[in-house]
Amino acid sequence: MSFSTNFSSKAVLLLFTFLLCLSGCASTTDPAIRLLKDSAAIEKKLRIAVLPLSNLSSTPTPLKDIRQLLIESFKSQGLDILDEEVLERFIVKHRIRYVGGITRMTAQDFRWETGADAVLITSLELYSDISPPKIALTSRLVSTGNDPTILWMDGIGLAGDDSMGILELFLIENPQKLVRKAVRHLSTSLAEYFSAERYLKGGQREIVKFWPNVFYRSPIFEPGMKYTVAVIPFFNLSQRNYAGEIMALHFVKQLTALDNFTAIEPGVVRDALLQYRIIMDAGMSYAQTDLLASKLNVDLILTGKIFDYQDYKGFAGTAKVDFSALLIEKKSREVVWASESRNEGDDGVFFFDWGQINTAHAMASEMVLTTVETLVE
Amino acid sequence: MMRLGNITILKKLILSLLLASFTACATSGISTDFHDPGMDFGALRTVAVMPFENLSRDKLAGERVRDTFANSLLATGAVYVIPTGEVARGVARAGLLNPAAPSLEEIVKFAGIIKVDAVITGVVREYGEVRSGSASANIISVSLQMIEIQTRKVVWTASSSKGGISVWDRLFGSGGEPMNVITRAAVNELLDKLFK
Repeated sequence: MSFSTNFSSKAVLLLFTFLLCLSGCASTTDPAIRLLKDSAAIEKKLRIAVLPLSNLSSTPTPLKDIRQLLIESFKSQGLDILDEEVLERFIVKHRIRYVGGITRMTAQDFRWETGADAVLITSLELYSDISPPKIALTSRLVSTGNDPTILWMDGIGLAGDDSMGILELFLIENPQKLVRKAVRHLSTSLAEYFSAERYLKGGQREIVKFWPNVFYRSPIFEPGMKYTVAVIPFFNLSQRNYAGEIMALHFVKQLTALDNFTAIEPGVVRDALLQYRIIMDAGMSYAQTDLLASKLNVDLILTGKIFDYQDYKGFAGTAKVDFSALLIEKKSREVVWASESRNEGDDGVFFFDWGQINTAHAMASEMVLTTVETLVE
Repeated sequence: MMRLGNITILKKLILSLLLASFTACATSGISTDFHDPGMDFGALRTVAVMPFENLSRDKLAGERVRDTFANSLLATGAVYVIPTGEVARGVARAGLLNPAAPSLEEIVKFAGIIKVDAVITGVVREYGEVRSGSASANIISVSLQMIEIQTRKVVWTASSSKGGISVWDRLFGSGGEPMNVITRAAVNELLDKLFK
């Protein structure tokens, strides 16, 4: 009897300790259901022009095949896609070379010449067909007309070994299969935006793991106010080409999802940087911030530095992301928010790669989401 | 009786040897830090963190440590830190040949352009992995100094070293703490010394 009492009390104690340990490393479930920006335009069926993919991977990639898959997937979701010939003629006529964004002028021309209501801009960030394959895509839907606005934005980073399961039963070795999975995610997300149910449910998130190392928010910054923000490509100190542009896209995506922030279309920001010949030596000066903020009519300029944005090929390696970001307010001419984050894919991983993140995109996405939350909470 | 006396002598000998061995590992206890007692650090409103001189093998070490330090200093809320882009503009306008080690005249000219109360310069002496035999670990060693513009004096200097190969690393080969962890530890120590 004594044995059984002792044993049960020990069992309870062990269970309690175990639960206590678990709570220490627990990931926080985000209960918030994020409402995407509402728009009167989505009430009617939009005609969408799917631009050729922008290659930010710096590797040879089957861009045309991925684009074709995207178009087929969108059509299967019942979306109205602009005819290929019309789009081709428009691109040739306007000599469009840059497909990573659209300028105000291009947005107007798109509306009046092709009748497209929105343009889908997709950036391929990572593509590797070495087993296990990897892919990272970011897409956004931008309205055409006088004021190009980001209506929807989503991204995905996948690796074939993300969820291998027991005996590697669920290991994806075929790159085509992985591409289809990524494309399906994006088209479903876009279709949800058009559907009556315009909600994105927050999944299981590890806030503690991705919390910024350091962050600062000025007392003059009011989190509840509505702000328009221009995200400048980050100053790239990493080995990865286009890491600055990729980080900017991550921030645009997360800011677009916030109710009180309106992110300017990156193509418009790029056009202004080129037009006013703004070259950043080590970041934005106050004079450059003033000029850009007044020309783009924004309240805030977000910029930063990227030190590491590292993916790896095959099974062995670790994804790394290391960046710092700061927000300069036009009115006060001050840094109103700053943060610094660094994570590796195997942070907090102790047993059998359980919880490992295999792409820099997936990790950066979580890091930026957590970072952006420090802006509003 | 004779035997007991021998044991006592032996005990004393062991104790004195033990104490003597401790003195071999002792540090001098002299601090290399300086904190101007006549300076009112609360009066400082705006500071600029200049690019750090990098004496390590990692070519990004200076910029990484500077970024962590500038953000951490800003996060204290005690002073406003000028963004690096504005510092770069000031460096270009003042025509500083070596912004990591400017002369006093250059600092005054630079501070007049970007309107700061103090300028912080620094040196990253070590950053990255060190090896000793089969053991390895990460190490960081940073020295900083603050020059106040009004008095044109160095009002604070401090250095911090973190990481390195511990007994644990030698025995179990753990590889030491990650670089960002020891960088933050070193920066926090420097900030503690600044605001003490």
